[in-house]
Amino acid sequence: MNAAAVVRQPVGCLKAALRRTRFQRSWQRCMATEAAPTTTTTTSPSMARTAFSQRQHMEQKKVAKFQIWPQVPSPRTTHPDPMPALTQQEIARLDPTGARTRLFSREHADSAKVGDVLMVTSKNGEPFSGVFIQLRRRGVDTAILLRGQMMKVGVEMWFKIYSPTVTGIDIIWRRPKRARRARLTYMRQPKHDMGSVDNLVSAWKKERYALRSKAKQAGGKRITR
Amino acid sequence: MPPRIPIRVALPRLAAVNRPALLLPHIPQRGIKYGWSTAPPRSKHKRFNQPNSGLPALTTGPAAALKRRENTTPLRTGVLAIKKGMTSIFQGKTRVACTVLQLDQVQVVANKTREKHGYWAVQVGLGARQGRNVTSPMLGYYEAKGIAPKAELAEFKVRGEEGLLPVGAQLLPDWFQLGQHVDVRARSRGMGFAGGMKRHGFAGQEASHGNSKNHRTIGSTGPSQGSGSRVLPGKKMPGRMGNEFRTVQNLKVVKVDNELGVVLVSGPIPGPKGRIVRLQDAKKRKAPALQHREKAREELHQRQPDLQDRLEQARLRHLDMQAQRRAHMAEL
Repeated sequence: MNAAAVVRQPVGCLKAALRRTRFQRSWQRCMATEAAPTTTTTTSPSMARTAFSQRQHMEQKKVAKFQIWPQVPSPRTTHPDPMPALTQQEIARLDPTGARTRLFSREHADSAKVGDVLMVTSKNGEPFSGVFIQLRRRGVDTAILLRGQMMKVGVEMWFKIYSPTVTGIDIIWRRPKRARRARLTYMRQPKHDMGSVDNLVSAWKKERYALRSKAKQAGGKRITR
Repeated sequence: MPPRIPIRVALPRLAAVNRPALLLPHIPQRGIKYGWSTAPPRSKHKRFNQPNSGLPALTTGPAAALKRRENTTPLRTGVLAIKKGMTSIFQGKTRVACTVLQLDQVQVVANKTREKHGYWAVQVGLGARQGRNVTSPMLGYYEAKGIAPKAELAEFKVRGEEGLLPVGAQLLPDWFQLGQHVDVRARSRGMGFAGGMKRHGFAGQEASHGNSKNHRTIGSTGPSQGSGSRVLPGKKMPGRMGNEFRTVQNLKVVKVDNELGVVLVSGPIPGPKGRIVRLQDAKKRKAPALQHREKAREELHQRQPDLQDRLEQARLRHLDMQAQRRAHMAEL
């Protein structure tokens, strides 16, 4: 700061001086904030304590005043979600060979696909055959919807695939082209309704019978589904 | 009245000196000095000096309430559990939809007694809580019990003293017997502020016929002048719906698994997944067999044989820490 300026404009100089100090202060502050993280990164554990907020500090003080006993073992740590394990247990019990799971698995290319014609044999009643319209994946409750005909009336039936009453599920006919929908609800419309699948079933039975008799002739080996 | 002649000479009676309680003070008999009566005494005045004498037993009050509820109070304590979701189990041919309840670190925290608290109950805790999230009074409470701070606490009333359990005992799913009936109590799902149609099933109003902008509103809330021009208390109106305690009674225990820490009960229960529920032997069904009850209790003692010692140790430690805290406070 030159003396001449001070003589000429004392007030203006004061202004300049103030501005400078103000600037300097802000600059310093800037440095401080910039420097702060670098200091904390290189702190020792004793210094790390200062990083706690006032509230955290109070909490620590509070907890230190009391004896806190160890916890008993918890299934929360070993099995935070018991649902998949339970589902697995139940499926293993109901489907020990894994055939049912495989028939509708995503991994297997030869699994039953929506649009195929299936026949479900159950303990209570006649086998029911129909177009496989929908698959509801719900673990143990996984179910399929078949649409067939009874007395020339369209009938839809849900079957739980793991149910002990369902004794067998056969693929009667495979749809030549993959269905482009997950749920073939449009097959309920008269335009798309497949109608009776009895001819497909009888054809499948004939073929199966032929295969079986041929196998018997060959070496008495039985083909099981 | 003529002066009475003293018949008896007042002599010091040795018996009265030794046993004052047995001998009544000698006073001349009152009431039949002059004349006589054949009527029976009007009342036994002494009955007023005894509690409840001559009157039927009270039907109100704590003792009567306990007596009244005796048959519907379960013999054993229940547990707290977390609702984990639903699944199904096939029992023979039939499918049973079940709710999965997980018992996470369920421990007995305290016992309530008839003498001290007026009823018999077991306080049970579930889960764990960080020390910093627990208030100082509660930290002291857990310190004295020798238990880590619990996330939730609840009381389960039991019929008598034999229902109480040692403090610190952990209750596992096999506390319940397969096939027994239980009552499940939990808060239902909160629906928030709901209108009359959703909350109380009101019919709503017409879509047309001159109705203007009042299709789902409630109609009238009561008569007008002549009937008081007021809304009667308890009138069903829109408001907060759900998030209130609901009990489902007599659910069957379908499966118990100690390793997964789960109890499967038949059917649905109130509340969303993650809700904390109360699970206790059914009020209106038979308690599990005596054999099972005894076995469960025995196993509980076998798993943690040193509960008494641990509680005593915790008590001593608590006294020690308390003294320290007091000394610290005195310094300040």
